[in-house]
Amino acid sequence: MPPLLDLQHIHVAGRDQPRLHDVTLGITAGERVALLGPSGAGKSTLLAVANGLLTPEAGTVLWSGEPPARSPRLRRRQRARIGTLWQDLRLIEELTVQQNLNAARLARWGWPRALLNLLLPLESEANAAALEQVGLGAELLACSVAALSGGQRQRVAIARLLRQEPQLLLADEPLASLDPRLATELLELLLRQAEAPRALLLSLHRPDLLRGFDRVVGLRRGRLLFDRPMAFLATSELEALLAELYRGEAVGLMP
Amino acid sequence: MSTAPLSQPYPLALLRPAAPLLPLLPALVLLPVLALLPGLVHGGGWDLIGRFALAALTPSLDPVVIQAALAGLAITLGMALLGWIASLALGVVLGLASSRVVWQVCGGCRWPAGMIRRLLALPRSIHELLWGLLLLQLVGLQPVVAVLAIAIPYGALVARVLADLLDGLDSRRLEALRSAGAPAPAALLTALGPPLLPGLLSYGGYRLECALRSATLLGVFGLGGLGTDLKLTLQSLEFRELWTGLWLLLAVMLTLETLLGWLRRRWLMPRRLDLRRGGVGGRGREMLLLLLALPPLALLVGRALGVDPQALLHGQPLPGLDSADWAGVWALPWLQLVAGTLLLTLLAAALAVGLAPLQLLLAGPGRWGQGVLRFSWALGRLWPPPLTALLLLFLLQPGVITAALALGFHNLGILGRLLLESSEDVGPAVEEALSCAGSGPRLALLYGRLSPMARPYLAYGAYRADVMLRETVVVGLVGAAGLGSQLLESLSAFAWDQVLALVAVYALLTLAGEELSDRLRRSLLAGH
Amino acid sequence: MGTGGTTQADDLADIVGQSLRMPMPIRLRATAMVAGLSLALVPLLAPLTGGPGAGLPPALAQQSQGLKVLRISAIPDQKPEKLNRLYPLVAQELSQQLGVTVKYVPMVDYPAAVSAFRTGDLDLVWFGGLTGVQARLQKSGAKVVAQRDIDASFNSIFIASTRSGLQPFRQQKGLTSLKGRRFTFGSESSTSGRLMPQYFLTQAGVKLSDFADGAPGFSGSHDATIALVSSGAYDAGVVNEQVWLSSLKDGKANPTKVIALWKSPGYQDYHWIAQPNLDQRFGKGFSSRLTKAILAWRPSDPKQKQILELFGAQKFVPASASSYGRIEQVGRQIGKIR
Repeated sequence: MPPLLDLQHIHVAGRDQPRLHDVTLGITAGERVALLGPSGAGKSTLLAVANGLLTPEAGTVLWSGEPPARSPRLRRRQRARIGTLWQDLRLIEELTVQQNLNAARLARWGWPRALLNLLLPLESEANAAALEQVGLGAELLACSVAALSGGQRQRVAIARLLRQEPQLLLADEPLASLDPRLATELLELLLRQAEAPRALLLSLHRPDLLRGFDRVVGLRRGRLLFDRPMAFLATSELEALLAELYRGEAVGLMP
Repeated sequence: MSTAPLSQPYPLALLRPAAPLLPLLPALVLLPVLALLPGLVHGGGWDLIGRFALAALTPSLDPVVIQAALAGLAITLGMALLGWIASLALGVVLGLASSRVVWQVCGGCRWPAGMIRRLLALPRSIHELLWGLLLLQLVGLQPVVAVLAIAIPYGALVARVLADLLDGLDSRRLEALRSAGAPAPAALLTALGPPLLPGLLSYGGYRLECALRSATLLGVFGLGGLGTDLKLTLQSLEFRELWTGLWLLLAVMLTLETLLGWLRRRWLMPRRLDLRRGGVGGRGREMLLLLLALPPLALLVGRALGVDPQALLHGQPLPGLDSADWAGVWALPWLQLVAGTLLLTLLAAALAVGLAPLQLLLAGPGRWGQGVLRFSWALGRLWPPPLTALLLLFLLQPGVITAALALGFHNLGILGRLLLESSEDVGPAVEEALSCAGSGPRLALLYGRLSPMARPYLAYGAYRADVMLRETVVVGLVGAAGLGSQLLESLSAFAWDQVLALVAVYALLTLAGEELSDRLRRSLLAGH
Repeated sequence: MGTGGTTQADDLADIVGQSLRMPMPIRLRATAMVAGLSLALVPLLAPLTGGPGAGLPPALAQQSQGLKVLRISAIPDQKPEKLNRLYPLVAQELSQQLGVTVKYVPMVDYPAAVSAFRTGDLDLVWFGGLTGVQARLQKSGAKVVAQRDIDASFNSIFIASTRSGLQPFRQQKGLTSLKGRRFTFGSESSTSGRLMPQYFLTQAGVKLSDFADGAPGFSGSHDATIALVSSGAYDAGVVNEQVWLSSLKDGKANPTKVIALWKSPGYQDYHWIAQPNLDQRFGKGFSSRLTKAILAWRPSDPKQKQILELFGAQKFVPASASSYGRIEQVGRQIGKIR
């Protein structure tokens, strides 16, 4: 079976230096990959290439072995298989939680249902189930997103991701600016969701939450520094890699 | 924004249209309009419409025609510029006079501010065309008439905005200066001047765009400039000459809009007129220079146009009021006229407010669709509604719907532009996220872009509806369209008693409309 | 109403809210600057580029500065090009004959001409029957100067598009065939394009509400009526005979598209009307010199011949206010004179 995500020799130009240079990365079903690197390393760019938001200047992107489809219909189907948890969540503030969760289904819905979703509560049971998975109650469904707390929003965003039923989960620093307890909780939640046939690529600013990942990938100044399976990585070796990765950066190394 | 309580029982949410649907709801009016339209088409003038459209590609390039159009354009621009400058001056004076803070500081009491405010509602409620036609009778056919017709209602508008800004400002600096012993005028200028300037200029720039449209419109009704040429060429069906003028006007309009947009960005005009925020008005000196350049510019333009304020002194009374037939005035079908006007306003407003987002949705986010949209909306802003109405008469029977289409098309252009600008402001993040999850470009636009824009857009729509109520008079010549038609009829019969009564009713209606749209706007901006 | 809090400005700024992030490329900036500067200066060009018909303000402004200018005008009953050809000629000729500066001021519609005459902004105006009566009623002492030889018995022609299937008729009763048709008058205040035709229609038992859509249209001018009826936008319309004949002659009216239905009985129409104060402003006897000058136009003089041809007449003849009594009466009947 082809890997869910296959990036080969990706190059993305930047203003002074390339944002990504000759990056090659593959992720197969069942893998949980952590993407590490100091800020400005190109993690968000890499994720944007991975979810198709950004077309690289050079290199090949394959999803489940297929290049980006030409026909808009196929392309949408392709994109629906990739779910992204955005750093700024990108929930629709003006809509209810229910409508936001259903927005993840827009790829599969036609116009009539998409419009109906703005009028009536649709698929409440599936949405309630998704909320339950992220530890929220169904009573939130009718609530407007603008009225939620920060932690509730994070969870709703993850619930939306679940409702999309993607094969490949991408997450762009989902744990930044969360308190440690909540961060651990949400990370566990995401890792749980990423069992085969799914896969997870999650970018982290800080290297203190690596437990539970299968692989760790280091990105520095647009280049892939290392790509190692965690199972065969001794702590001391990891520390050395991280020291190299964060060389000269102000951020603390290990907890 | 919307804050539904957590405990809200589920069924209550049934069938409550969500944010992105709200701006589209007014477009439902299309259903009855489209249903009635086939009955209105007499189809006689397809030939003419074809010729009109074809002429757009082959405008007359005859040097004489171009020269005449340029001369007309110069006059129109001059009238707009002068009227605008005068309205700013008038607005600043009246705005200060109707500000509670100013009265408090200078006179120690506040009540005169409220009174002046109420008085200013009257000049504001009368459309510039009516001012023009009335002044024409009082002063005669003088260039100063068009200038004044723009300056009076615009000045009152600027005054209201300025007074609201002033009274909304943080008055602590002012109090500090006053308690340090600074004299009242100096304290006002130092404390309130700098933070006020950007807001005033931003709003003022917007009024300049309006002034250009108004000056063109006044021309259509005979006050000179390009508008006059447009009307005459259309009436004599000289479409190629007509398009020469229209293309030139389009060029000027787009240049002006671009220029003002650029200035707003350059001067970091506030996004909302919230002046307590820092970082506002980055280039105070440039702004001041521009302000100082306005009076000499006004003098130059005024001289070039032959504007003579003294002409105002040689006013003449309205004729025929002594022989007024008030019983005849009373006998006019007032109920029908008012109902017709309101129906026309509602139809036109619903069409304009609803169609802009609908068209945006249909055109999609692609570059071509957006380009076509921008162009058609620019044409809408460009064509004075009476010209559109005359064109529509080639195809449609006269009546409320025809008038509403003409008025709606014009305002659609204005609303569409605001919609595009604010949609650029919303940013692509949510839309991108939806696209990345596989939803189609139009659905992503509906969910991602229309949601945050819905309420502010509708709030502006409410304000625009009030403006449209005032504007119904300009499509009066389509006939059967309420007070406007009756007004033009009375004007051509020189029935001054009727004209005065009609203007009074118009003023009352627009004042009531203003109150209503104010409330609607406040509730829209506040959430539910 | 002084309702504080939110104002237009608020939501305007909300909506208009400009993106503050994107700096403009330098070239664009320079272009905007140049464009802005040129926009601001365009109005200054007005007097330089002001050809005939460029717009009234500059022409009028001179008068208010006290120059002795005789301002002539006319109701805009025909295409502007034709008016712009004819009246500058008239101005030139009168200027030569009278030794004063004469300026032609174009008008956009009939009531505007009446108003401008009342407010004293026009000295000599070529009015139609109805507008002339309106003008004299609003300006006491205004003088009827002259009319054309054809104006003593002027006629309207009812016309129809050939597509409409309407056929010419001899009797006034034939007007009833227009019931249920799309019909257009010329200007609302036109004598030959509205007032008298409406009178003849009423006589024949046709009410305005009998037309298709419950009301007639108002095309604005005779030329427009011919064009609109030719195109089929209206089934039928009515124009003055002189415009109709000249349109046929110069090919503007195509007989395969538009035909004449019926010629109305004669009535008094167009005439020159002058301000009462011309003698005070231009010197004693000026009014009578003006009248004589116009009455003296003859086809034997090449320039005057051109003017007379454009007027569609052989010569101008004396006219008096009393001959317009019938027009006034009909005007009162249909509410155009009060």
